[in-house]
Amino acid sequence: MLDAVRAEALKLRRHRATWLMVWIYPIAIALIMIGVLLYGAFSTHDAGPPQSAAEWIQDSAMLWKIPTSGPGRFLIAGFAAVVFAGEYGWNTWKLIIPARTRWQLIAAKWAVALGFLIIALIAADLIMLLGGWLGSLQDGQLPAGVTLAAVAEVHWKAGAHALLPILYTIAFAGLFAILTQSILATMILSIAIVVIEGMLPLIAIFFHGYAPALTAWLVKVLPFYHMANLGAWAKGGAVIPFGPNDIVSMSWTTSFWALTAWIVAAGTATQLRFLRQDLN
Amino acid sequence: MSTSEPSGTPALELRALGKTYGRGAKGKRAVDDVSLSVRHGEVYGFLGPNGAGKSTTIRMALGLIRPTDGEALLFGRPVSDKQALRRVGSLVDGGTFYPFLSGRDNLRVLARTQGHDGTRIEQVLERVDLAADAKRKVKGYSTGMKQRLGVAAALLDDPDLVILDEPANGLDAAGIQDMRNLLRGLAADGKAVFLSSHLLHEVQQICDRVAIVHKGKLLRESSIRDLLDHGQALRVEAEPLDTAETALQGKWPVDRAQDSLRVQAPRADAPAIVRQLVEAGADVFRVGPDDQSLEEIFLTMTRDTDA
Repeated sequence: MLDAVRAEALKLRRHRATWLMVWIYPIAIALIMIGVLLYGAFSTHDAGPPQSAAEWIQDSAMLWKIPTSGPGRFLIAGFAAVVFAGEYGWNTWKLIIPARTRWQLIAAKWAVALGFLIIALIAADLIMLLGGWLGSLQDGQLPAGVTLAAVAEVHWKAGAHALLPILYTIAFAGLFAILTQSILATMILSIAIVVIEGMLPLIAIFFHGYAPALTAWLVKVLPFYHMANLGAWAKGGAVIPFGPNDIVSMSWTTSFWALTAWIVAAGTATQLRFLRQDLN
Repeated sequence: MSTSEPSGTPALELRALGKTYGRGAKGKRAVDDVSLSVRHGEVYGFLGPNGAGKSTTIRMALGLIRPTDGEALLFGRPVSDKQALRRVGSLVDGGTFYPFLSGRDNLRVLARTQGHDGTRIEQVLERVDLAADAKRKVKGYSTGMKQRLGVAAALLDDPDLVILDEPANGLDAAGIQDMRNLLRGLAADGKAVFLSSHLLHEVQQICDRVAIVHKGKLLRESSIRDLLDHGQALRVEAEPLDTAETALQGKWPVDRAQDSLRVQAPRADAPAIVRQLVEAGADVFRVGPDDQSLEEIFLTMTRDTDA
């Protein structure tokens, strides 16, 4: 299994898609931070009002909002599409691994897709933190109360919040890739999911007029609401209206487990479908 | 490599192997009841026109796809046996590789996927004459280079059985000769070589035994010598051909073969045939054994099946 993961990593670490959709995070953040520091060094403008320690720490962990945002998830889905569906385009699936160990290949793809993204995001996060620290020193000093423990706690929590959306995006992109055997089709379906999530209240209100009970049930069962709910909880509120007198308000843990179940289901379906696929 | 199986065990054995793609009315029978065996130290040719089921058979023999019926055995063990499979090197579908990786990195990926360390990568690159181009991305390789990389991939783990699907595709004359020497060398080392090809002239030169498949069915399995030996037949070149044919028809079975006659007769009858032709007023240009090539036999067999 470890060999399968190593092979997958060797395959993808220098692929153009990995540069554009994964390594882009630390590279872009590094360039932005260098730009900001250079601007700060040569600018004659006032640095602005001082930040509190809590604000400074929250700002330094801003990067973890990217994977939960629409554009961030498009990038994740795009990378997962290349990882899972690329082999169909290169015509390499059937040649490299016996049918009995196909599950290893899917598992290795999961490991590499998730691993590369986590590595890139952690690297980008550390670069951002370093840039923020250097910027504060450039302006004078760090706000009082910024401690390593406080920074670590906030960054850890922000990273943990981002993990489920990343897993969810990879799970469905992987499933779409195996079903459609196409990078483009996988991307289109993955984008559709993000768009549906964004429009969920509107869609729900529209269908509520025709079939209120069914709409309520679908909202509670399908993963879209739970993704939105987790995002809303992370921001402090969790109420999504979907009818004139109807709202869905579930706990963070309910949505967490519902989404976990969907991720496991999508991952299992991907494995089962690939194991049974006739690659000729 | 371990050779722990009992002596005489074939390196590859297919038993009533069958494969149907799809289900129900839409199902397509790609391979039907194919049985054959490949021994150590021989080069075995697997011949068939396009769509005959050669690649599907090879994929089942490698465990890449599951057969619908029958079984494939490697060194006497099921194809699912990991140890047996590790003793097999293969080139399927012309060796498709990751175009964005170099030749060397492709072999590294393959070595990792197969669970070995790839210590022989440089050696096999040298053997197929690709060491100088190993750093280049595969997307810049010619068809022949990709083919050679495919062979390198097949030899990566010093296999006891080498399965090659159309290994001479895209190779120039010199490349084909190199390939011929390489395959004969492998057989001389005691390895079993199973190759599919439509280059019948090459197969005739390289292989010890062949199997001919058509529309998924095995038409014949035989040694090259037996296949080419049609017993007693003579090829007669004479003019006018109609006069010659009429003169011989009474005594021997005669078939027209393009601008000559094929006469079912032993070599000892050659003087009598010449006398008969001269008496009939035909000019005789040549009377000799009928050396039918593998290509002619192959075409006859597959045509007969079509009919």
